Amino acid sequence: MRIRDEEKVQLVKQKALESLVKDGFEGFSMNKLAKACGISVATLYIYYKDKDDLIISIGQEEGDKMADAMIKNFDPTASFEDGMRIQWQNRYAYVMANPLAYLFFEQLRTSTYQVKFLESFMQKFKVVITAFMHNVVARGEMNPMPLEVFWSVAYSPLYSLIRFEREGQSVGGKPFKMTDKILWQTFDLVIKALKN
Amino acid sequence: MENLDHILLFITDIKTEDCKTKLQAILDNYDGISKWNIALDDQDFVLRIVSETLNHQQIIELINNQGHFCCELT
Repeated sequence: MRIRDEEKVQLVKQKALESLVKDGFEGFSMNKLAKACGISVATLYIYYKDKDDLIISIGQEEGDKMADAMIKNFDPTASFEDGMRIQWQNRYAYVMANPLAYLFFEQLRTSTYQVKFLESFMQKFKVVITAFMHNVVARGEMNPMPLEVFWSVAYSPLYSLIRFEREGQSVGGKPFKMTDKILWQTFDLVIKALKN
Repeated sequence: MENLDHILLFITDIKTEDCKTKLQAILDNYDGISKWNIALDDQDFVLRIVSETLNHQQIIELINNQGHFCCELT
């Protein structure tokens, strides 16, 4: 009787993320992945029906993990500043702890897998964050605005800092190391821009 | 979740969407096959069948009868 070997499944997921980030979707194959894992191709096809199934499954699973990380300790009834602070902490901690998954999401976002991936992506997160946004607008802490305007001001600065930190350099190749002071100085400016 | 013992895997020469479409009429309605798919992007064009009742040899004969190479993927 075949039994699902969870250790093997975890190894497959880890190696798949590494290969996908390194070789892209085009350069990725079930054969290469099986070799990287030291298992037979048949074993891979027992767990996943094909390459697309594997990519989408891993994307959805990692998406759920990211959503859980983003709503950790997050209270949708919190004040705007407190809620945003938790969002910044959670997002920063997630990317630093899961660099491969973060790069994989960036790839998915610009791929043909995007539609399937987005169908179920972060549903739980969306419910919580929508409630939070509704509350802060209802309390008059922030004016209503298009999502893109909000996101560009609220999170783009954070992801720019994350990129600098990951690359070890900022604008014009200047060496960069993230500090709490820089992170929260940027955060304070974001709050100042958005909060009434 | 699928019962892993019901998954049958094969190497084939089913290389194109056309070949796949021709087989679809047979595989979709074949008694005992609950799910199937062919990985056209795989170098071995892996046919994956989910069946509680059929064995490898029966599938090999079925695919051979349609003019395609088919052997068990081990």
